[in-house]
Amino acid sequence: MRGKALITSKVIHLIVFLVAISAGLNNSPVKAEAVRVGHVEAELVSEVDEISPGQSIWVGLHLKMDDKWHVYWRNPGDAGLPPKINWDLPDGFEAGSITWPHPERIEVEPVTSFGYYREVLLPVRLTVPESIQIDDTVELKANPEWLVCKQVCIPGEAELSLRLPVSQDHPSYNTAWSDKFNQVRNNLPLKEHGWKISVSGDETGFSVELVKPQWFEADIGQINFFPYKQGVVDISSIQEMTTNDSGYVLLIDRNPNLKQIPDSLSGVLVSSSGWRGPDSEQAIEFVLPVTSDRPEAEALASINIWQALLFAFIGGMILNLMPCVLPVLSIKILGFVNQAGEERGKIFAHGLIFTAGVLLSFIALAVVLILLRAGGQELGWGFQLQSPGFLAGLSIFMFLFALNLLGVFEIGTSLTRLDAGQSSGWSGSFLNGVTATVVATPCTAPFMGSALGFSLSQPAWVSLSIFLFLGLGMAFPYLILSAFPRFLKLLPKPGRWMESLKQFMGFLLLATVIWLAWVLGVQAGVNSVAVLMIALLVSALGGWIYGRWGGQVSSSSARTVATLLAIVLILGSFGFSVSGVGLMAVDEGISYQFSGDGLDWLKFDPDHVAELIESGQPVFIDFTAAWCLSCQVNEKVAFGSEEVRQRIADLGVTTFKADWTRRDDTITRALAEYGRNSVPLYVLHTNDGEEIILPEIITPEIVLDALNKIDS
Amino acid sequence: MSSADKETHSGTATVSEPAPDFTLTSTAGKTHSLSDFSGKYVILEWINFDCPFVKKHYRSGNMQEIQKKYREEGAVWLTICSSAPGKQGYFEGQALDDRIEKENWMGDAYLLDSDGKVGKMYAAKTTPHMYIIDPDGVLLYAGAIDDTPSTKQEDIPKSINYVVEAMTASMAGEEVDPSYTKAYGCSVKY
Repeated sequence: MRGKALITSKVIHLIVFLVAISAGLNNSPVKAEAVRVGHVEAELVSEVDEISPGQSIWVGLHLKMDDKWHVYWRNPGDAGLPPKINWDLPDGFEAGSITWPHPERIEVEPVTSFGYYREVLLPVRLTVPESIQIDDTVELKANPEWLVCKQVCIPGEAELSLRLPVSQDHPSYNTAWSDKFNQVRNNLPLKEHGWKISVSGDETGFSVELVKPQWFEADIGQINFFPYKQGVVDISSIQEMTTNDSGYVLLIDRNPNLKQIPDSLSGVLVSSSGWRGPDSEQAIEFVLPVTSDRPEAEALASINIWQALLFAFIGGMILNLMPCVLPVLSIKILGFVNQAGEERGKIFAHGLIFTAGVLLSFIALAVVLILLRAGGQELGWGFQLQSPGFLAGLSIFMFLFALNLLGVFEIGTSLTRLDAGQSSGWSGSFLNGVTATVVATPCTAPFMGSALGFSLSQPAWVSLSIFLFLGLGMAFPYLILSAFPRFLKLLPKPGRWMESLKQFMGFLLLATVIWLAWVLGVQAGVNSVAVLMIALLVSALGGWIYGRWGGQVSSSSARTVATLLAIVLILGSFGFSVSGVGLMAVDEGISYQFSGDGLDWLKFDPDHVAELIESGQPVFIDFTAAWCLSCQVNEKVAFGSEEVRQRIADLGVTTFKADWTRRDDTITRALAEYGRNSVPLYVLHTNDGEEIILPEIITPEIVLDALNKIDS
Repeated sequence: MSSADKETHSGTATVSEPAPDFTLTSTAGKTHSLSDFSGKYVILEWINFDCPFVKKHYRSGNMQEIQKKYREEGAVWLTICSSAPGKQGYFEGQALDDRIEKENWMGDAYLLDSDGKVGKMYAAKTTPHMYIIDPDGVLLYAGAIDDTPSTKQEDIPKSINYVVEAMTASMAGEEVDPSYTKAYGCSVKY
């Protein structure tokens, strides 16, 4: 039966196919006509004959010039204007920008331009919406504009259209054009090519150093540099090329009218022979910062170890002020209030133990991170908060801590002892240190980003030292306070107010629990939050039972039963939630979105980003996470500004949100490429290829300043 | 700075440095040297009436408007044509006079540089290509007329005119920024 049905369906397909072909003979479904305007024949072409919903295809503007006439590249050089395509597409279709094949030099003494003779195919990526109907025909319309020159220049434009039928099948390639598309793809500059390129600059020009990949044995031939940006290099002067042991050096004169050495140089290098051997791809692309000296191997790392340690220390100190640490500050303040009445030596000992708690947690974190990374996992700072189970566990811990502060139950002499007369409480100070660290991880403080990024690219002992300094920095203010208790004397004498403060701190911790529950919700869905709430209820019950019947006033048997019951309930709720939220976790579809800021955030997609950068469009990437409080404060402050939103819209900046709330290897890798392993990270790629990394704390002014570097 | 100093200056024009002196003949048959105008702002405009980018600024009246404006404010406007004989933009005799009149040109002198010597000295690459020389003979600005490289007249009102910006800033005693831009247009037909 099934076989028969299959055959029938194949026959139907064949018939449909034959009908389609015969229809095509009289009236080709792919309808495009070349339009002749002046010295140019323009045509809208597609690589495929049919399109299907949701597909991404290559279309292109094909310009055929009369003999000796030329059109221009994206940077036209001394004169001219690049072609432009104004699309008029059916609903839902999206066209990317032109991907520029490498140009030729057009020299008419003393004017040098970059462009194309004879003919050129300018490819554009087109996204077909899911919503189009099978068997329909769509019409793509475009109104390209160009400037074509020989001795004289003539601007031209045309109304072009291309009709493409919609089909469910795999795309059939248009035989007339697919070769041309393949050819042009070979002429697009490569980004990954194995060559190591560095650029240094001085008063007169740039020196582009090219280190051969090991496998490259051929001769590179003549190298020609085509800059993306106008006015940076003196394009008409001769580019001198020298050979050395490791590769080649290309000397390029600078535009003498520029007052300063530019920060970056970007463009295409064209080899007459090929970058991967004879007859291979001829063009590669680079976007590089310009160093003022000749690059040294070790100087390539942007910061050295001493700087990294210093940054880590400062970053650690600042970490105390970050929004995610603020709720925990309460615990620490309590600790110091506790100690205020104690003798000096003991206070310092508490300070040391707190520091030890912080340091050991940082070391533990570093070790886990290093081990997991060695095992091939893509992880970064704050990784534990990407795990729903961890979030649930931490929530319960914080919740019980809050109940304890609110007086639902007291824990013997161990955790937080408020009796100023009695000492002990060592484990309390230690635990405070641990808690502070655990809660600090979702934040990146200024200075920390580059130190952490640096640390993970280094040998394990360097990473460990950096984490250690981070911890030292964080504990430093407390250590100082405990070493000079004089400052603590400024605090009021212990008394009834301490009880009130303690209870109030309990509410701050409850606020932290709300936040953690929200993060969990974003990460794993509303069902996981329900699981967590039940666990919180059960653990609260355990705490209450312990507080009611576990104290000194109860009989010893009641005490034992109450304590055991409390342990069972609390541990049970831990186990239940940690495993439960994992099971309830929703895999896809949920993502943290800061809504209402009026910006059109796209989901981070490295290929899409690369494509936009390549085509000279400005891109802004916001690396963020629901559990990163600084991220949200930043977003509210910076993107809440009408002026910022307006500038972003005016400049046509495409904004991407890289949501790292859950583990995402793509985002972790992308962070690593910017030398980071933590959020927040804000990156702006300007339209001339400059990459600007904004600080960890942003304001509308900082964002606007960065946006001003875009050439409008 | 005396004119003698400027004459010794050789090589090409660079922003913030003394502008190289030159002597050219105008359509009226008079010779003009840059040094004749010491003490005044001088605006140089490279021209080719048939270039679509020049047409944009002449057909819209934009170029004439700033020519008139700055001449009234005491500046000297020199229009230079570096097109070689036989190339686009090169006219002579009556044809040239007719064309200048037809285009309603409003400058002080239309200078002929058919051997391209002055154009090359100033590294004039496009038409239009604009230069401003301050009363001390220093090159204040070199580059495009505005920030919109296009051939469309409707873009003019939306554009920032660099010549106006530079003149306004300099006359107010402020720094000229930008003092250099990438000129756009057709290549000069040397």
